[in-house]
Amino acid sequence: MDYDLSSEQNILKESAHKLLAKECPSEFVREMAEDKTGYSEKLWKKMADLGWMSLLVPETYDGSGVNFLDLSILLSEFGYYCVPGPFFSTVVLGGLPILTAGSEAQKAELLPEIAAGKRKLTLAWLEQEEIYQPSGIQLTAEKTATGFTLDGTKLFVPDAHVADTIICVARTASEANGISLFIVDATLPGIQLTSLETMSGDKQYEVCFEKVAIPADRLLGELNGAWPVLEEIMLKAAVAKCAEMAGGADKVMELVIPYVKGRKQFGKPVGAFQAVQHHCANMLTFQDTNKFMLYQAAWRISEGLPFTAEAAMCKAWVNESHGKLVGLGHQIVGGLGFMEEYDLQLYFKRARTAAQMFGSSDDHREIVAREMGL
Amino acid sequence: MDFEFSVKEQDIIQDVREFLRSESTPELLEESHHLGHIYGGTEGRKFIKKFAANGWLVPDWPKEYGGLGSSAMLTFAIKEEMAMAAVPIIFVAAHMAGPTIMHFASDEMKEKWLLPIARGEVEFALGYTEPQAGSDLSSLEIHAADSGDHFIVNGGKSFNTHSHVADYHWLATITDPEAKRYQGMSMMIVDLKSPGIEIRPMITMAGWQTNEVFYNDVVVPKNHLVGEINQGFYYLMSALDFERMFPLAAYERIFNEIVSYTKDTSVAGQPLSKQPLIRQKLAQLKIELEANKLLFFRLAHIIDKGQIPNYQSSMQKLFATETAQHITQAGMEILGYHGLLKKGSRHAVLEGLIEQSYRTSIVETIYAGTSEVQRNIIALRGLKLPTK
Repeated sequence: MDYDLSSEQNILKESAHKLLAKECPSEFVREMAEDKTGYSEKLWKKMADLGWMSLLVPETYDGSGVNFLDLSILLSEFGYYCVPGPFFSTVVLGGLPILTAGSEAQKAELLPEIAAGKRKLTLAWLEQEEIYQPSGIQLTAEKTATGFTLDGTKLFVPDAHVADTIICVARTASEANGISLFIVDATLPGIQLTSLETMSGDKQYEVCFEKVAIPADRLLGELNGAWPVLEEIMLKAAVAKCAEMAGGADKVMELVIPYVKGRKQFGKPVGAFQAVQHHCANMLTFQDTNKFMLYQAAWRISEGLPFTAEAAMCKAWVNESHGKLVGLGHQIVGGLGFMEEYDLQLYFKRARTAAQMFGSSDDHREIVAREMGL
Repeated sequence: MDFEFSVKEQDIIQDVREFLRSESTPELLEESHHLGHIYGGTEGRKFIKKFAANGWLVPDWPKEYGGLGSSAMLTFAIKEEMAMAAVPIIFVAAHMAGPTIMHFASDEMKEKWLLPIARGEVEFALGYTEPQAGSDLSSLEIHAADSGDHFIVNGGKSFNTHSHVADYHWLATITDPEAKRYQGMSMMIVDLKSPGIEIRPMITMAGWQTNEVFYNDVVVPKNHLVGEINQGFYYLMSALDFERMFPLAAYERIFNEIVSYTKDTSVAGQPLSKQPLIRQKLAQLKIELEANKLLFFRLAHIIDKGQIPNYQSSMQKLFATETAQHITQAGMEILGYHGLLKKGSRHAVLEGLIEQSYRTSIVETIYAGTSEVQRNIIALRGLKLPTK
């Protein structure tokens, strides 16, 4: 066993840390939360130049080779700086279905553009009954002479407003698992976006598909064969979200620990009180365990090993531990941390946001139970 | 990064597992349960010598001292196997005192003690706690007076587990009462059969025995002093760090039994394992066991890099022992009334395992530093928080 990052991974981490420190200060994060577009094309281009969008793309498609662990390390830095924008939607939610289910032609068409940062994607999965089960998919894709017609409404589609391509999850047969994926050009007639107002200012959309006609070659993967692909993507996306949380935890510790060393009450630093020290010790325990749960799951995905149990354990654990870590941070910083101008709130909101995505702790514990043979 | 054992490590772990399966006889288990330790009885001595002959008691020690010169990772994995095999097999000599002797003692002392320890021929008992010195071990009162070529020790210890079965006492004693805090303590190895030592049992609510140990003009030869005189507090802290590397597999085994029970037991027409709340509970414990596993093997990783674990040992001990209690509590919640039945009772399930382990687990967050002490250490050493 080896818990250390490789020297290349350390370089990736440090270079991301350095660039984002300069390009993504918390003022920028606040500005983007209010901004309608929610990201800066200038930063997007810089990230593309560094090859960040290419981390999950094989070299044959102009990527830097599929390495989920490297991506997790990068996403941890995104979490540290609360980086806004469509990176996650494009690389993880858009890239993975194409990588997993795409035909040769579809991969050749889309992956090089993802790797180069020239195309933005998103995934339209959830609907009114927001459940990661096939029964939650009611949007239909009717077969036509030339292809398919999509009809229905998707919710919680991230960054739909900037996506060039929407991967849409649709029902193509009445039997339970009759689910398929489609690559949808976001400019097609019949697609209507309505923005949703979110807690942390991330860009989420309702996307209505009204008789949207798409050609037959836009079917992604097997007809009625999407569910196993989606299950895998949900787990990988869950681990990727955990990476953001783990990075966020690093920043929270850097905000909070120096504060309790400096802040004096009753004539001594509040960090000298054991009640506060014990909160801090719990925070460090959450920080360390979150990181290891993340690294283990991401490493297994990278190595091509079975990862269902480890990914589900990771999301269930990190959801709750990161939430507790940030909560304890608020408790010991006190009123100041409750102020909008203090950065802790950014992490509080993002901790909850990430916990809501790609399965709750209960959902993932149920997966763990199944994996245990219960 | 890598979260699997190497093939070579896996092979040895497999060998250990086979050995434990074939050699942990009902007689051995009965004897060790009765004594509270696998060491001390005839079956136990036989078993541990055979086990240690493979180098498995101290795999990461150098070959000259009876180890295999292997990684700490393998050592930690073997400790987990030992714990999983349901024999109480944590050795003070091999796993706490031994590493401290290797780090701090004279060559003469290493020559004398390390090989017999590695062979499983001698066992120590911890001699730290006194009635007035629990969490605050700097407030010891037992005293060793310099008397030429030996010390004369007087005083008393309490909660000295295994003293009734061990050969030697790993004794923390004051050697300079005038010294400043932390600077007047020494570590000594004392033959528990020495004239003037009296051992009185203290029976725990878990049913097993710990002890009071009284010293009345006990003569300890000077060559039984560990390392430098008056440096004992630092050696003790080092040994405590080794003690705080806590194999949780004994509780993982209990967890596995609970899981089997939920599959085999039907209530209202369906197995307990199909009830959503029970599934959630068991999955949560599984996740905590996994997090603990990662904290545990991190310690080995740190040692294998040539560093000494610091706050990380406290974190693992804290996490493991709290998980242990979560497991026994969940066992009680799931078993209901049946959880109260003792081994041998009519209608007892899992041979009274939950009734027994529920009582035992209460001490896990207390000995070797309470959870509060561990959190203090994590905060002070890990985060450098101020004390005033």
